Amino acid sequence: MSDPAVGTIAQGEPEVRARSAEPRSIWLWPLLPIGIAAIFVGTMVLNDVTAEIRVTLVLAGIVGGYFGLDALCQRRWGSGFDTSAWLSGFWLTLVGLSAITVAWLPLPESRLVKNALTETPRLRPDLFSEHPLGTNIQALDMLGGVMWGARTSLIISLGAVAIGLLIGGVIGITAGYFRGPLDSGVGILADSMLAFPPLILLVAMATVFTQNQWTMALELSLLGIPTYIRLARANTLTFAQREFVLAAKAMGSGDRRVIFRELMPNVALPMVSYAFLVTAVLIVAEASLSFLGVGIQPPEPTWGNMIEAGQESYQDHPHLVFVPGIVMFMTVFALNRVGDKARERWDPREAQL
Amino acid sequence: MLRVIGLKLVRLVPVLFLVSLATFFLIDLIPGDPAVNMLGADATREEYEAVNKLLGLDKPITDRYVDWLSNAVVGDLGHSLRLPNEPVSDLLQRSVGPTLRLSAMALGMAFVIAIFLGVWSAQAAGTRVDRLVSGTMFGFISVPTFLAGLLFIFFFVFRESIPRWLWLIGVGLIVLRLAYLAISRLAEDSADVSGWLGYAIATFVVAGLLFWVFVQWPDFPRTASHRYDDNWREQIRSLFLPALALALSEIAVFTRLLRADMLSTLQEQFVLSSRAKGMPVWRILFRDALRPSSFSLITVAGITLGRLIGGTVIIETIFGLEGLGKLIVGTGVIPKNYTIVQGGVLVLAVGYVLLNAIIDISYQYLDPRIRRGRV
Repeated sequence: MSDPAVGTIAQGEPEVRARSAEPRSIWLWPLLPIGIAAIFVGTMVLNDVTAEIRVTLVLAGIVGGYFGLDALCQRRWGSGFDTSAWLSGFWLTLVGLSAITVAWLPLPESRLVKNALTETPRLRPDLFSEHPLGTNIQALDMLGGVMWGARTSLIISLGAVAIGLLIGGVIGITAGYFRGPLDSGVGILADSMLAFPPLILLVAMATVFTQNQWTMALELSLLGIPTYIRLARANTLTFAQREFVLAAKAMGSGDRRVIFRELMPNVALPMVSYAFLVTAVLIVAEASLSFLGVGIQPPEPTWGNMIEAGQESYQDHPHLVFVPGIVMFMTVFALNRVGDKARERWDPREAQL
Repeated sequence: MLRVIGLKLVRLVPVLFLVSLATFFLIDLIPGDPAVNMLGADATREEYEAVNKLLGLDKPITDRYVDWLSNAVVGDLGHSLRLPNEPVSDLLQRSVGPTLRLSAMALGMAFVIAIFLGVWSAQAAGTRVDRLVSGTMFGFISVPTFLAGLLFIFFFVFRESIPRWLWLIGVGLIVLRLAYLAISRLAEDSADVSGWLGYAIATFVVAGLLFWVFVQWPDFPRTASHRYDDNWREQIRSLFLPALALALSEIAVFTRLLRADMLSTLQEQFVLSSRAKGMPVWRILFRDALRPSSFSLITVAGITLGRLIGGTVIIETIFGLEGLGKLIVGTGVIPKNYTIVQGGVLVLAVGYVLLNAIIDISYQYLDPRIRRGRV
């Protein structure tokens, strides 16, 4: 028992695997058509029944349909098939596509109130109508709002992740490679950046900057930078002791060449695999700021400020909060799910266990 | 031992210095004149000068920092820039209480629920229960705090009959399952009392609890009051929803962590020897395995405090709780009342740093392996 953590995990793994090999229920596949039928009936056939019953039916349909799909996929591709991760990837693709194409889609007005004066406000969601997800208090289309929101969220959070990756990665690799006083200096810097509770830091900065997409990406990148510094540093430490670095040095490579040609390509992959998880955190942070009223301001729809605007009357019109809320939840969930997979696959420290 | 603690404390000094620096120079990052920013373009000259004087902007920058820091150390964080110009420290003092109570309750709830779920799913690793718990935890992590707060208000305040019936159905299923187990054991071998008696008792206890909660279903208030004269039961009832919303993601993090650590502890020799001696399962889990599995839980609890503090800002705004977060956002950021933002951020950041240091040090006492390893 020299190192309890490593030793026991290595011992524990086969036993756990053996138990989880218990076959998942493949015979459940008929639930897929039943689930789809339930969703169909709930959304389109039963128009006069109370909302609670329809929502319950649709939810049951979704859950049942998922189990059915899971069974079907396992039948087709074997028991190792991860249905929820694939569904997550599908959803992320959908969100990404809608963020890119929303500007060219023929959607009803979802941003400018003056163009929506003739519409009915607070319309209930009704698929196959002009407003599939309903309209908000100002009669703006919710579907369009959610899609524009996806665009804003993705621009801000992906921009912040890119900035964080670049700056944090360079600082972290340099600190991990040279060690010494530079390393401890960077450590203190990262510590003091992490000393502010994240949301408090963002809120404080919101007093200072006027909020638009680009300043928000910059602010959010401050959350990512210390995390990425630590990550890059830790990965560099493991790689810097490997033989190929020694070989490069023996052949007379300078520090710059070792960093850019030897370490950078190796450290990049695990860091990028964390990007999904960081993006999920940043989307939530951006939405929280918009919700508090210190992020992107209302004429521009974001998930956060749609929810904020909806919460005043969501007792009677729940879709005002639930539509952007569910979209955001699914996006964050999918990012976490895919991110978890990516990290398992590409982070060398994880893979060693 | 003392040397380790000393080193950690020394390391705190530059961090605290940088924190104070960053907090202070926040104001100097504001583009343009802070006074104009705050009051708008059409205030009188006297009003501008009053704000500039309160901020001390007529002095050179280093003097301002030294003045501000020496005042801050003795607890004077300046005055609110808006009438009635109260001292910032008074405002902070008034709102610290609700925030502390809220986060303590959230943390407590997170620990209780996570320990139960983590131990249970580690014990049942690989089964359907385990998969269900893991999936649910994944969902919990992905619910942003403000969404959780709004959902709880919707379901527990606006449509309170829905969770009530869900409770009846959900716990009812558990009762049926327990009853089924008890009866099947009884039918198998009625002479073996220890085989079925536990399940029979559990069935009645859970069923009793089910109906008691169903009948006594509390109606949660929309806004969390924090009057000091309320008795503790009222306080818990009004803080229950906000604390649960805040605890949601912590529950998920803690459960996953505890499950992983518990899994590896359960493979240890001493657990095997306990099992061989015929100890009851609950004793092995809670007396033998929980303590050595809980160290990383405690560390991570310290790290997640930052998120918890951020969460209180949102939860306080949603539930109308007059805490630190609402003070910073509502009376600080939105009306651009800079001294309140400065003071509040400083107090939170310093508190967070100190708390993490304390956890770091107490960890040395808790886990003998670390103690030997470092010194």
